[in-house]
Amino acid sequence: MAKRFDASRRTIVKSAAAAALVPAMPRPAFSVEPIRIGMPAALTGPVAGVGAQMRRACEFWAKQVNAKGGLLGRPVELIISDTEGNPAIAVRKAQEMVERDGVRILTCIVVSNEALATVPRLAEWDTIFVSGDNGDGRLTGESLVPNFFRPNVSGPMGTRAVSLYLRDSPMKNFYGLGMDYAWGHNSMEVFEAECKRADKKFTGAVFSPMGTKDFSTYITRIRQSGADGVYLVLSGDDNAAFLSQAKQYRLGDKVQLLTELVDQMTINATGDATVGLIGGSRYPYTYDIPANKAFVAAWQAVYHTLPDMFEGDQYQSCIVLQAGIEKAGSTEAAKLRAALEGLEVDSIKGRVIMRACDHQGEQQGFVTKIVKREGMEHPVPEVIATYPANRITPPCNKMVYDD
Amino acid sequence: MDFFPFLVTQCLNALSQAALLFFLGVGLTLIFGIMRIVNFAHGSFYMLGAFIGYSVARGTGSFWAGLVLSPLIAGGFGTAFEIGLLRRLYRRDASAFLMVTFGLTLVLGEVVRLLWGVQGLQLQLPTALAGIVFLFDEPFPVYRLFLIGAGAVVAIAIWQFLERTRLGLLIRATSQNAEMVQALGVDVNLVRSGIFGVGCGLAALGGVLAAPMVTASLGMAANAIVDAFVIVIIGGMGSFPGSLCAALLVAFVQVFGTYYFPDFAIAAMYLLMLLVLVIRPGGLLGKEA
Amino acid sequence: MGNWRLFFLAAIVLAAAPLGLPLFAMTLLTEALILGLLAMSLDLMVGYTRMISFGHAAAYGLGAYTCGFLALHTAMPLPFSLLAAALLAGVVAIGVGWVCTMATGISFSMLTLAFAQLLYALAFKWTSVTGASDGLAGIPRRAGPFGMTVLETRNGYYYLVLASMLGGFALCRSLVNSPFGAVLRGIRENEAKTLSLGYNTRLYKISVVTISFALGGLAGALYAPFAGFANTDLLFWLFSGQVLIMVIVGGQGTLVGPILGAAFFMLVEHVLSAYTDAWALFFGLIFIGFVMFALEGIWRILTSRLPARSRA
Repeated sequence: MAKRFDASRRTIVKSAAAAALVPAMPRPAFSVEPIRIGMPAALTGPVAGVGAQMRRACEFWAKQVNAKGGLLGRPVELIISDTEGNPAIAVRKAQEMVERDGVRILTCIVVSNEALATVPRLAEWDTIFVSGDNGDGRLTGESLVPNFFRPNVSGPMGTRAVSLYLRDSPMKNFYGLGMDYAWGHNSMEVFEAECKRADKKFTGAVFSPMGTKDFSTYITRIRQSGADGVYLVLSGDDNAAFLSQAKQYRLGDKVQLLTELVDQMTINATGDATVGLIGGSRYPYTYDIPANKAFVAAWQAVYHTLPDMFEGDQYQSCIVLQAGIEKAGSTEAAKLRAALEGLEVDSIKGRVIMRACDHQGEQQGFVTKIVKREGMEHPVPEVIATYPANRITPPCNKMVYDD
Repeated sequence: MDFFPFLVTQCLNALSQAALLFFLGVGLTLIFGIMRIVNFAHGSFYMLGAFIGYSVARGTGSFWAGLVLSPLIAGGFGTAFEIGLLRRLYRRDASAFLMVTFGLTLVLGEVVRLLWGVQGLQLQLPTALAGIVFLFDEPFPVYRLFLIGAGAVVAIAIWQFLERTRLGLLIRATSQNAEMVQALGVDVNLVRSGIFGVGCGLAALGGVLAAPMVTASLGMAANAIVDAFVIVIIGGMGSFPGSLCAALLVAFVQVFGTYYFPDFAIAAMYLLMLLVLVIRPGGLLGKEA
Repeated sequence: MGNWRLFFLAAIVLAAAPLGLPLFAMTLLTEALILGLLAMSLDLMVGYTRMISFGHAAAYGLGAYTCGFLALHTAMPLPFSLLAAALLAGVVAIGVGWVCTMATGISFSMLTLAFAQLLYALAFKWTSVTGASDGLAGIPRRAGPFGMTVLETRNGYYYLVLASMLGGFALCRSLVNSPFGAVLRGIRENEAKTLSLGYNTRLYKISVVTISFALGGLAGALYAPFAGFANTDLLFWLFSGQVLIMVIVGGQGTLVGPILGAAFFMLVEHVLSAYTDAWALFFGLIFIGFVMFALEGIWRILTSRLPARSRA
């Protein structure tokens, strides 16, 4: 590939054509046309950690499927390309996969705004996009398009699980700290509405810009709020920074820290700072059902680590996609769409129903608490409550709940 | 919280933040003063410092070893980069430096990703620093007080070094007029290599000290470089006391601004820079640009 | 004169491109031309006047958001939206230019950065207009005036982009070859001297910022309906830095160079990142190598070798 690159450098004008004509990665020679699945994933940049998880889950799944003879007798081929977490690049890469590589199925788009930029193009591309982690409520709400499916847990669903848990807790006053990002605002809105319905007091929220490094002022505000619990909607570096600093200020001694999402990656990066944290989980690897135990064991055999949250969630999306393709007997968008609508699958998180009205997967919600366990290097999320799908999934096309 | 305890806490918060900003800015301003180049890769050395600090601390079991060794390693690397690449470019225009340091930023980011992976890493504090003190019955981290102390010590050390030592004199002279110093028989190249290394080392020191608060992560570099530029520009390019004042000013504006106007937190630093530059185009203590 | 012949030759080749290139190559080429227009507009400031702007993303973002907003919320035909976006970017640039030209050198750079970042912050906060962190998605390509639907097609849009780019180039080229351009070069070489010759250099500098922003705004306006969205990344300082690198890598002060630089930057990144996660490593090394081997930009490499070849 270095050679090709040199060639394109020689004459720049020609490289426009050359770059586009260069075939994608060398493909194994199968007698049948493989099922190509496009993965425009953020593998570098600030969300690279999440991207790496999702990619691993897809690769794990593809290997499993191909080991059993593929799907519909065809091998699964993953076409992976880095988007840097930038929507402009994500759309371009997705379009390349569709127009050059003949991809008709996309997954593994990491960032919500990449997904939001991509979905309006799906009809033109005649392509199905099965979300692996995109949480933005609007993707199944006002921004819903027929070719988009979300087997994973959405942001509002994560917040809902934590809220249901809080209804039965003695805590009364809540404060919020969210990332100044669509996701942060949406989830906080849901949380506020949930507080009202549960007759709890929501004393206000503050939003920190993405990339905030010093959270001391926000910690001061949280202390002053006098709340018993603070609801956090932070991710990535911001989340790790806040948790580390909250621990240094001993914030958790006075206020219960609650969060929409907590994954092992964050726990490992912040260590004991997460102990005691209560949070929703899209996939807790400690979930104790046979299907999950088998998955965890198979995963450990390959990677020698436990599957993390986005790995489990993306894997479930792959399982749903697989069931859809098998049911449709085809990868054509119209047939696959019809097959996915109303599809019921038993996955590693229990039963998922891809409801037809807004393409959201109905599934249980988990609430976990971070605890230290004997023999484990890092703290682990322990499932402390599960809620049934009908209480977790919002009404069709909505982000807020009625009860 | 009453007003007075609130004020004290917030001021300490601001001072600790200023210390970190100072480490970041002072290295860049020293480099600019001597070499008149815009070092785009400064944030990458900050990040590199955090990761090397993590590995050293993990390998030796001592935070202090990481704190000392990481700036030395990163500084050595900076010097090597200066000798190997930058030295050949002093006759070229500013865009050559811009591009070469931009390239270095990409390379360093990738090297860190390949060596340490994409997950954030925690730099464990020693027990002595992990504790708290009570200020008006509210816990305050010892580590933040340590940061303030470290900032003060480094600031005084640099100041004394520049004012009192022969080498410091040389550095100040070189930043005033490099040709003159060269004509006096001093090897200006040596001064440049040294200062580039010291500047990168200071950034790395900031990175190690920031790591326990933000975790060592790949996002550190991009975040830091703009902060560093803002500090240097507000203070006045090449002015050591300027970078100190700027770090304090920015930290106080951020801490209090974020408290009273959280919606402006995202823009506070830039508004401040705009204001300062409109009033004094050369920065607070810089020469007229 | 020979240069104009080359210009027409390039125009013909580019105009014929849809006949020979596959579907996705056209998408890449369209985007490369849009970025080329942006880089070329920055070259007016950087290459001809030595005003190193770290905030050119502001022009692009302004154009993209304006055009996107108009396409989403009004029935305005696309060509008018493009003009409106370019105009707005130009008008904003008068203010930005007025403030930023109070300083020179690196302070000027940082002021432009500050403005771009303030716009970035504004885009994050003004949710009702900009869609905050999500940006504007699903931006349609509105049919042209008088029911012209050709702009909705891929090739039709390509020709619109090509025409804008060539028009922009012709404009910039006449500009830099005019007495106005001579004054700009005077400012580049020695501002004090130019000032002492009786030219109001500040006025010239504000003008060049305005023209540069208007063209950059046009590029952004072309991008929004092309990609179908606009978001805050288009305004972020990182993008400003990348555009600056495109100009330098292509060859500042040549107009054609930055266009090639933009295409080079985008295509190399695009192709490399499809092969390896570690693309940034190679990408970075390319830039370092470029500088170390004293290459003064792609365009100068090409032009300096041309005569040698013809002699051989």
